[in-house]
Amino acid sequence: MKINAGNIKKGQFIQKDGDMWQVQKAEFYSPGKGGALMKSRIKNIKTGKTLDFTYKSSETIEVLDVEVIELQYLYKDHESLHFMNERTFEQHTLPLSQSGEIVSFIKEGDKLFVLLHQGVPIAVRPPQSVRLKVTQAQEAVKGDTVTGAKKSVIVETGATVLAPLFIKTGDSIVVNPETGEYIERVGKQYQ
Amino acid sequence: MKITASLQNRVAYQKTITLKKATRQFFEEKNYLELDLPLLSPALIPESYLEVFETTFRYFKESQKLYLTPSPELFIKRLLVEGIGDCYFLGKAFRNSEPESSLHLPEFTILEFYKTGVDYTYMKKELKEFVCFLAEKQKKKHIVYKNRSIALDTVWQELTVKEAFSRYADIADIFDETAFFTKAAEKGYATENTSYVDLFSQVYAQEVEPHLGVAAPTIIYDYPKKLAALAQLKTDGVTAERFELYIAGVELADCYSELTDWKKQKERFKQDALLRKREGKINHPIDWGFIDALRKGLPKCAGVAVGFDRLAMLFAGATSLRQLQLIAFDRDM
Repeated sequence: MKINAGNIKKGQFIQKDGDMWQVQKAEFYSPGKGGALMKSRIKNIKTGKTLDFTYKSSETIEVLDVEVIELQYLYKDHESLHFMNERTFEQHTLPLSQSGEIVSFIKEGDKLFVLLHQGVPIAVRPPQSVRLKVTQAQEAVKGDTVTGAKKSVIVETGATVLAPLFIKTGDSIVVNPETGEYIERVGKQYQ
Repeated sequence: MKITASLQNRVAYQKTITLKKATRQFFEEKNYLELDLPLLSPALIPESYLEVFETTFRYFKESQKLYLTPSPELFIKRLLVEGIGDCYFLGKAFRNSEPESSLHLPEFTILEFYKTGVDYTYMKKELKEFVCFLAEKQKKKHIVYKNRSIALDTVWQELTVKEAFSRYADIADIFDETAFFTKAAEKGYATENTSYVDLFSQVYAQEVEPHLGVAAPTIIYDYPKKLAALAQLKTDGVTAERFELYIAGVELADCYSELTDWKKQKERFKQDALLRKREGKINHPIDWGFIDALRKGLPKCAGVAVGFDRLAMLFAGATSLRQLQLIAFDRDM
């Protein structure tokens, strides 16, 4: 659907230079030197790269009809992620090139929100956080009390995460799947 | 629609009030006369890039359309023609069809000051003195905006629009329109059905503006003549005497050596009125009386318009104009 750039809204998906982008910020701006403008920040669905771009508010841009559905993540092969719609049992694939960082932090069987354009997956909407079990962590060296010191631990998906020294094998930790950053340890009572 | 009293903005609001007092003190000491002007007018200067607010005065079956002024310029210039001398206005102005954003309010505070017998070069100094006066009154040496600290009482940067495009947008020639369109298209801008002014403005906002006023307050001057139709042309034939002030990438003030040629003004009126009509903007009566007044002779003068709320926002350390308001309401759009 074509709309004026002056009407784009945060969250919408748009086309630019042959790629799909999600609008993260759109703010009206009138410079008084010409027509009104729309200052936007957009994020490339494929590469995750963000771009600040100023549109003329009268400019037409293509807004994409994107559907968000919850799918079950089945498995990964060398080129794609495979998902299944649990209601219809329909299977979908998403090329690894479009999956972003999240692929290192998801487990088979996870339920994820996937963005579909004309029935074809274009991206996974990363959850704000994922909870993962630590499968390998070196014991902290006694006396090493430097505040903020970090070590590498390996989580159940095989990814490496920088975590605080007190994290042990068998702990569950919360990770931001977009950045791969450690957020917190899950208390024993919640595991 | 909800109207909210926001007393949490009290500190920033009080800063605005203090700045208004200091502003009046500054101009009084410099012998500028404060003008109290109407906000409603039966006719306006046609400006193709602004939409106006229209209202109706009614008396029984008779009625008259009135318009909220987008700037006090039409009144001030009449007074200048009559010989009022140096003067200023500090009050409200209205611009329609501009959705509220961090730097825009449909109803905002404008400061316009005019000095006779001088051109824009003089006003660069006057404006700096004014901003530094406010800073001194606030005992503030720096503006802090979005994690940037900019010293005020320092050497202000000055660069021409041409230099700015060459430095920040890698466009060497902004005056050759064909070359400018080609370069912009290469950069990925949509150039079809676009005027030079609109495209210029887009590239300016995207690539030039974010750099202005970042290291020190910056005066950017000598705009292509198409972007300053109410300013005196320079002898180079391609630019006009206009400057803008930026601090931290925020446009704060706009100055012209005022165009005194009534014939050129009349031409400009006609063009802008036509553009307004073509774009389906409110068809307000044109203030032809303004041209008649200019015919009597506008003295040589320069005028500066300051986005007063934006200046107050920077002094208050706020990042949005809303943070200065005691009363706010959400628009449905």
